[in-house]
Amino acid sequence: MKIAAQDAVKSRKARRPEAVILFTVSNQLFAIAADSVQEIRSTDSLGAALEVEQQEIPKVRHTIERAHRTYYVVNACTHFGLRVVRPTLVLMLRQIRTAVLVDKIERMAEIAGIHALPRAFGGAERQWYRGLAYLEDQVIPVINPAGFLTTAEFERLDGAMAAASCNDLAAQI
Amino acid sequence: MSTANIPAAKSYVLLQIGDRRFAMPASEVSELAPPVRLHQFPHNSRLVSGIIVRRGRLVPVYDVCPMLTGKNSPSHQFYLVARRKFASTTEPAAIPVNGDCELVTADIVEVTSPQHVSGILMVGDASIEVLDLNALVTSGSAENELDRAGSLA
Repeated sequence: MKIAAQDAVKSRKARRPEAVILFTVSNQLFAIAADSVQEIRSTDSLGAALEVEQQEIPKVRHTIERAHRTYYVVNACTHFGLRVVRPTLVLMLRQIRTAVLVDKIERMAEIAGIHALPRAFGGAERQWYRGLAYLEDQVIPVINPAGFLTTAEFERLDGAMAAASCNDLAAQI
Repeated sequence: MSTANIPAAKSYVLLQIGDRRFAMPASEVSELAPPVRLHQFPHNSRLVSGIIVRRGRLVPVYDVCPMLTGKNSPSHQFYLVARRKFASTTEPAAIPVNGDCELVTADIVEVTSPQHVSGILMVGDASIEVLDLNALVTSGSAENELDRAGSLA
C-alpha cells in the first residue's frame, strides 16, 4: 500500500505544470526550466570573460566571474554536436557554475509535464536531457542543467584554472 | 544461413523497406501509422532518427533501411509501430516502411543467422525474412560488441 501511494505522488509530481524558457541553438529548439536560469545576458556584455587555457574540453573556452563565482562558459553548439554559429546570448545557470552560449530566446512557455526520454535513446543525451516536452505539435528536449559539464569535467577545468593562476603568479615573481 | 526446420503457422505482417520485403510477427505489431511528422533533436544513439507522436505517446523511430537495404530511406514513408523489448519492460518502436502492409498466415522456417532474422516465410514463390526487431536495432551496438568480445574471450 505504501509503495503504491508513493508512486501516485511521484506521478502527480511528474505532471506538474512547469515554466520553461524556449531557446534555439543552431536553429534547434530546446527548453530549460525557468527557475534553473539565474540571468540572461548578451554576449556583447562578456568583454571581461577570461580565456581558459585547456584543450581537453573544447566546448569550454572562457570563464565569467559573477558574484565571486567562476562560471565556465559552454558553447551549446559544440556540446550538442550542432553546426557552430555565432551565439548572441549567454544563460547563466542557477546553482551550477555553468553559463551557456545560445543563439536566441524564443519565448517563455508552460509545459504540462515532461515525458521520459524513450529507452531507445541510450547515449550522452540521457545526461543532456531531463526528458521531452510536447508543446504545440512540437517535441522539444528539456535540458538537464547539470548535464552541460560532468563532475570530472569540472575537476579538470578547475585544475586547468589553478595551474594557470600558479603560472601567472610565478611569472609575476 | 543455418536453419532448423520447425514449421509453425502464425500471422505475419508483410512490409516493404526500400526495395525489399520483410515480415514481422503480427503479435509484435501495434499499428501502421501514416507519414506523420518526424521530430528530430540532437542525440548520439545509433539508428534512431527521431520521434513520432502517436495517440499522445512519443515513439522513437529506428531508421533500419540503410542497414537492411544499403540505401537511404525514402522521404515520404509510413511507420510500422511495434514493441521493442528491454530487460524489464517494452517500449513502442517505429520503423519507416513504404506504403501498405499485408497480413498473411504462413509457416515459418526458423533460422539462427543472421541475428536479426528469426525465420523465413514462404509466400507464393518468394521467401521473406522475418525480422527480429530487438536483434535488428541492437545488432552492432556497443552492448552487442561487448557481448561478442566476452564470448570470444
